[in-house]
Amino acid sequence: MLIYAFLILMTTFALFPAFFVVQAAFRPGQSLYTLTLSLWPDHPTLDNFAYIFTKLPFPTWLRNSLGVSVGTMVAGLIGSASGAYALSRFRFAGKQMTLILLLAIQAFPSVLALIPIYLILKTIGLIGSPFGLVLAYMSIALVFCTWNLKGYFDTIPRELDEAALIDGCTVTQAFWRIILPLSLPALAVTALLMFLTAWNEWVMASVLLLDENTYTVPVGLWGLQNDYRVPWGYFASASLIVSVPVVILFLGLQRYFRSGLTVGGVKG
Amino acid sequence: MYRVRAWTTLTYLTPMIVGVGLISLYPILYNIFISVTNQNLYHFRHYSFIGLTNYQSLLKTLDADFFIVLARTVLFVAVCIPLFLGLGMLNALALNHPAVRFKAFWRVALIIPWAVPSYITAFVWKFFFNGEFGTLNQLYRVFAGPQAGLPWLSEPNWAFASVVIANLWMSYPFFMVVILGALQSIPSELYEAAAVDGAGAFRKFWRITLPLLRPAILPATVLSAILTFNTLNTAFLITQGGPFTSAAKPGATEFVMVYAFREAFQLFNFGYIAAFAVVIFAMLFGVTLGSLRFSGLVREEAR
Repeated sequence: MLIYAFLILMTTFALFPAFFVVQAAFRPGQSLYTLTLSLWPDHPTLDNFAYIFTKLPFPTWLRNSLGVSVGTMVAGLIGSASGAYALSRFRFAGKQMTLILLLAIQAFPSVLALIPIYLILKTIGLIGSPFGLVLAYMSIALVFCTWNLKGYFDTIPRELDEAALIDGCTVTQAFWRIILPLSLPALAVTALLMFLTAWNEWVMASVLLLDENTYTVPVGLWGLQNDYRVPWGYFASASLIVSVPVVILFLGLQRYFRSGLTVGGVKG
Repeated sequence: MYRVRAWTTLTYLTPMIVGVGLISLYPILYNIFISVTNQNLYHFRHYSFIGLTNYQSLLKTLDADFFIVLARTVLFVAVCIPLFLGLGMLNALALNHPAVRFKAFWRVALIIPWAVPSYITAFVWKFFFNGEFGTLNQLYRVFAGPQAGLPWLSEPNWAFASVVIANLWMSYPFFMVVILGALQSIPSELYEAAAVDGAGAFRKFWRITLPLLRPAILPATVLSAILTFNTLNTAFLITQGGPFTSAAKPGATEFVMVYAFREAFQLFNFGYIAAFAVVIFAMLFGVTLGSLRFSGLVREEAR
């Protein structure tokens, strides 16, 4: 019984903020700013949703977020898969050095890398462009994907591709015909994690995007709060739209979170 | 592990090496270069080399911003991690209890905070902590009378606690999942044997559960400590690093990354923060390497 009491208490703590966003999204106007406690709006409406889609550039932000996230995901995967294979299977000089270097790069917090990235993008004229933002995200994505895929390739029994090599397969055939097909789930999970990271990222985007028309959703939403009275209703309805798919995706993925490194890419 | 021709290795490594070199490594090296210049708002294009001056001003006295911010961040991690771990552990134990039904439901409900994007977490909690309309103070007024209110974001210590609470909300599920996974891999024979030998619940937990959870908890703790050390979103978006008690000193929730972000992109002290970044990075890399060596991961990678 005590356990149920604890679980109910914890579930309230866990779900109340989520519930709060839902009710705020359906609350008309500024009625969140009341001094009386009310759990559900008396007259729920879809006005907030209508407003963000018609009066705010929210559809543009959604498109930008989608483009940037898909770009990061695809480029990250393509750029890292063959390298991860080499690190998992080939014997070569400088391998340990490469691994330690990758580790060092991963330990460099992305916020701190923002100054040089900002200056470099300014120099090559990509500041403010979504393409520049994808490049900035790639600085995290490539290393993350390499680690993650190498970790997965390591768990595929070596005998499989070694047997293929003995039978006359080339290394490239072993990679394309054996390793990659066997890694499809890992490739998918890595890709989706990369997508989520870019989709939820606020810090870099807030520095590297300058114009409302290129904003991604997180930057656009936080830009709304320049007002003295933060339009929480708009914010809540937009939050609901961007996070419901993400939460479902996350819940579906979390049973694949094997190692700490995988987890590290999701938040922060 | 097989030997292949050098050029094959090179072909396979090239996309990753070139990409990482240009997009990840070059900015880091460039950062080291910036750290020995005086580049800032006033010397944006025409900056000059000033040697180690940035490092000197960073570390010159014990009450320099660097040490204040660092100490505050370490305190933040030291407060957060036991809370994350404790709450994660309690939840995992509850979910693993044989008498509990509808486990899948509880598990999903309890994991949701982890799935919510952190900038939205910050948005919700910022509203909760609002002094006038915030949900927490509304609840408080029910008990303490209409004029009452707690200074969630306006008093330094309260603001610190507020950020801890928001972080606790989004971080405990990670420990819950890690610990639950480890709990489920403990064979029940161990508990049966202990019961035969007359061990009570507490003794079983202390002598069997905890020691067997250690290999799962340790790396999770290190990882979470590093992520918590790097907290930016929640702190910056909820408090902007404040409240500020004096203009010349960092605010009460101005943790390492918040400080770096504010100094760099609100005050444009590029050279100074580049030096700050180098020092912080050296510390973080040390911790990462140390913990990997500790957990045997590096040895395994080297095979």
